[in-house]
Amino acid sequence: MELRQPSSAEEAVGLLGNGHVALAGGTEIVPLLRDGLLRADALIDIRRAVPRGIHGTTIGAGTTLAELEVDPGIPVVLREACRLAASPQLRAMGSIGGNLLQATRCWYWRLDFPCYLHGGDRCHAKDGRHDEHAIFGNDVCASAHPSDVAAALLALGTMLRTTARELPLAELYRLPTTDDPQTTTLADDELILELEVPIPEASVYLKAMDRQRWSFPIVGVAAARTAGEVRLGLAGVAPVPWTLTSVDDLDRATPLPGTAYKLPIARALVARALRAVATG
Amino acid sequence: MADAPQRARGEAQYTADVLLPGMLHAALLRSPHAYARVKKIDVRRALEAPGVHAAVGPEDVEALTDEPGFFGAPVAAIAANTVEQARAALELIDVEWEPLEPLLDPDEAVRRGQLTDEPRRNERGDFERALADADVVVEGEYRTQVVLHNPLETHQSVCRWEGDTLEIYTSTQYIWGIRSRVAKQLGVEPDNVRVVCNYMGGGFGAKNDPGEYTYVAAELARRTGRPVKCALTRREENLAAGNRNATIQRLTVGARSDGTITALGGEFVNAVGWDGWIAPTDGPMQTLYHCENVRTVTYGAKINTAPMKAFRAPGYVEGTFGLECLLDELAARLDVDPLELRRKNYAHSSNERPYSSKNLMECYRRAEPHWERRHELRTRSDSTWKYGAGLASQIWYGGGGPPSYAWTRVGSDGRITVITAMQDIGTGTRTAMAQIAAEELGVPLDRVRVELGDSARGPFASISAGSSTTPSMGPAVRAAAADAKRQIIEIAAQRHHLEERVLDISDGNVVSADGNLSSPLEEIVGLLENAQILGKGARGPNPTGMQVLTFGVQVAEVAVDVETGEVRVLRVAAIHDVGRVINPLGASSQVEGGIIQGIGHTLSEQRLLDPATGTVLTQSLDAYRLPTIADVPEIVCELIDKPDEHLTNLGSKGLGEPPIVPIAAAIANAIRDATGADIHSLPITREEMLRALEAAKQKQRGAPAAV
Amino acid sequence: MNGHRYAVDVPVGTSLAAVLRDELGLTGTKVACNEGHCGACTVQVDGVPRLSCITLVHTVEGEVTTIEGLRDHPLVESFVRADATQCGFCTPGQIVSAAALVAVSPAPTRDEIRHGMAGNLCRCGTYPKIEEAILHWRD
Repeated sequence: MELRQPSSAEEAVGLLGNGHVALAGGTEIVPLLRDGLLRADALIDIRRAVPRGIHGTTIGAGTTLAELEVDPGIPVVLREACRLAASPQLRAMGSIGGNLLQATRCWYWRLDFPCYLHGGDRCHAKDGRHDEHAIFGNDVCASAHPSDVAAALLALGTMLRTTARELPLAELYRLPTTDDPQTTTLADDELILELEVPIPEASVYLKAMDRQRWSFPIVGVAAARTAGEVRLGLAGVAPVPWTLTSVDDLDRATPLPGTAYKLPIARALVARALRAVATG
Repeated sequence: MADAPQRARGEAQYTADVLLPGMLHAALLRSPHAYARVKKIDVRRALEAPGVHAAVGPEDVEALTDEPGFFGAPVAAIAANTVEQARAALELIDVEWEPLEPLLDPDEAVRRGQLTDEPRRNERGDFERALADADVVVEGEYRTQVVLHNPLETHQSVCRWEGDTLEIYTSTQYIWGIRSRVAKQLGVEPDNVRVVCNYMGGGFGAKNDPGEYTYVAAELARRTGRPVKCALTRREENLAAGNRNATIQRLTVGARSDGTITALGGEFVNAVGWDGWIAPTDGPMQTLYHCENVRTVTYGAKINTAPMKAFRAPGYVEGTFGLECLLDELAARLDVDPLELRRKNYAHSSNERPYSSKNLMECYRRAEPHWERRHELRTRSDSTWKYGAGLASQIWYGGGGPPSYAWTRVGSDGRITVITAMQDIGTGTRTAMAQIAAEELGVPLDRVRVELGDSARGPFASISAGSSTTPSMGPAVRAAAADAKRQIIEIAAQRHHLEERVLDISDGNVVSADGNLSSPLEEIVGLLENAQILGKGARGPNPTGMQVLTFGVQVAEVAVDVETGEVRVLRVAAIHDVGRVINPLGASSQVEGGIIQGIGHTLSEQRLLDPATGTVLTQSLDAYRLPTIADVPEIVCELIDKPDEHLTNLGSKGLGEPPIVPIAAAIANAIRDATGADIHSLPITREEMLRALEAAKQKQRGAPAAV
Repeated sequence: MNGHRYAVDVPVGTSLAAVLRDELGLTGTKVACNEGHCGACTVQVDGVPRLSCITLVHTVEGEVTTIEGLRDHPLVESFVRADATQCGFCTPGQIVSAAALVAVSPAPTRDEIRHGMAGNLCRCGTYPKIEEAILHWRD
């Protein structure tokens, strides 16, 4: 294997694709490579090509979660989502751009069962154990997207700037279908460069997890009030980060037998989050 | 701890750190099926892969199998220059599998009579009649899950042949057991097997036996003439290195309306796995309380899952959860205080033999102030967070036993070395043994050094399992120190023309009773020059006709978020009676460690299987959730510290296991106190907690209005 | 690394942990899961804690500090004093993480310790003693 270290985004884009995989913090890519879930002929170390740091409401995609969790200028919801994500070492290594692109924690996917996301013809979790899986958008694939940060950024109405376009965060994601297992719309040779994060009037992140720390969300609820309007983003409930347009959306959940318990948790956390951002 | 600096500085050499010249690395091919036959296996392509030196299969090593009975069963192995090369070559082993239908349901295994052993039946009195006569009967089904040991150092061995002598560096809880088991298996003289384990990174019961990694390394080393290391990966560790088996417990208690327990009955199904033994899940029901009519049956279900192994108080952890939850449900039914209920049914004398010592009543007394806190605690409850306290009793073994031997060597510099071929599994053994020798010899602790961890450099020492290290080894060390002391005093008596009986050693000085003589030890033994004093000690027998057991009680305080099912353990008070305490700081570490491991068992840990294939889904530590530092409650540790006067020259029992025994029930009972919900299944995930809360709500609706 | 320079020649894809242990013989850094979940392999790069088992050595830019470079840190002594080792396999990683923590926050609260040390698993459950050791690291 080869390692390239481009010094600009343009150079990086020129190198990406065709089995050349971008590497930043490495917390996801390195284990996936080692487990054979991802193949790469070359690794493109993008850390010199992607902005890092916080400038007003603009966050470089290379900024680590550890840097974000201690920055007082960042909205509370994002800071808290970073603080409660992963472990201290993973937060110190992982970039916010990489966090948005992380793969599911579904054990069947991680153990390389031939599921839809691996190009197979079924969702093994649905017939098997799906204790940690989805209650929304689980028609095809039942996996749950684990990014706390994405939920927070959805609630904030974040815009992304990539090497090819500008888009609202929600448009980065797509539900996988039986024909197309992709969960993002990012091209192989496209890099997330910056995030434009509006400052809300009030925001909060609430996370139900198995341990007090170092756990992926069972349910994560992000709420932010911007210009009087409250937006809700959820983690751990669907194959992609999930936007709730209203509380009534919860009535349209499609829980599986093993994920039904997530619904009352989501209800409780949404109610609490709404109360929290209603004032303050 | 005497060896803490080495561990903290990263200088301690574990098996994982052993690097011998020319060492090869082995990797194991494991079954991708929960049940299958290997119809054909061909390693020729693998042998041609880069870096590969040798391969072995089921015909070469008995620990490898051609009829794997669980997902991850070891089938073949490769030795290569690097572990990556060995793993890559595994892909080139051609295997023709014949998959068979796995049986994963333990109840179904019992129905089919697919058992690992004869069911164990224990009965005294007349259970049926006592039940019929009881004022109140409470029944319950309790389930406990499979949990995985997950020592941070995985199971591993490095084997090297020197002529006909086999050296084994291994991460083990039983140096001498490895020596004799491997010798027997390979047909080698035991003295030609040397087992070394200076530091080991945790075992918790899973490292009592050699394991396939040792046999594979030994055979590959023999074939290649090179040292071979075989180290399990974390995922292999969680597939095939042992587990605490799941249980299903169908329990019944009958009592008089005053709370006197008159009948106890239990059907226990232990989901043993493909191999293993029937842990005493029935033990607490048989032994914890005074009850004349007890009937238990315990089944060992043989199913297509990885074999169980001992895990920190096997059987008693699971059985105590069931029994102590059942007792609290009885207490609630009778409206009796749970602590009072336990006192009322106190077993003053054993149902079989007398106890060598038992201070459980004293434990209960010391629990009172902790138990009283529940009144204030409950007042903190609001509509979301409910607070409560619960308690559970503990009974377990921990007396150790013979044989065990130790030597002491006193040089002319007055320094003492304790020599015994035991292992320190991380429980502070070096320190405890040094303390015992120092106390007996009357010298400061820093004069004593403990040499252990090598079967070639010391006498037989017992297993570090069953909370037995200190009670088994301590008396041998003490006897060896006493033997050396006797010899020193003999020399001093001759030199100073005094009677031996007036002499003693205190704070490193040989002193006479009248105070006229106070001579530093090194001056007395300094006369010896190159001669040395050698003391020998053997562990004496346990008291005849007595049961040596440990006891305790724990009080847990919890908060439950009734909307989201979150359970927080806030505080645990642990009061245990383990005889004399040698090292209070180290003892408190054992208590804390047991409780924290037990909190994992209670709240967050479970091995999950794919129900169709038996594939283990929780192989890695992101999915299998050990407690972190953020999950630790306030822990208050109180030890009774009364020497057991019937037990050896030391009066000490073991403490490794007792603290993990009652914690799950104490937490579950605290949850009931806080919320009214009956917990019947471990772990208490959000799902289980919300289910129990919903069931409690239904019960309340259905029940007649409270009077 | 640890104030020295080393030249190593390994293929791309090799982890920092593998280089430390296998190439340089610095076995104080332990590998317990080898997939970034347990923290036993924690080292610092320019003072920031990283998981050396999932760090590709070719991507490391900066000063690496391992337990071997922290042997004179007061935390070593405070861990010994507090009995914050049981089997000890996780201890070097704990101390490396703790050293990074106290460098940023010299008087950490219990909450800060629990937050900052949650990525270092200890199966023996030595956590209360680890918390004490870090709380009193300068005593």
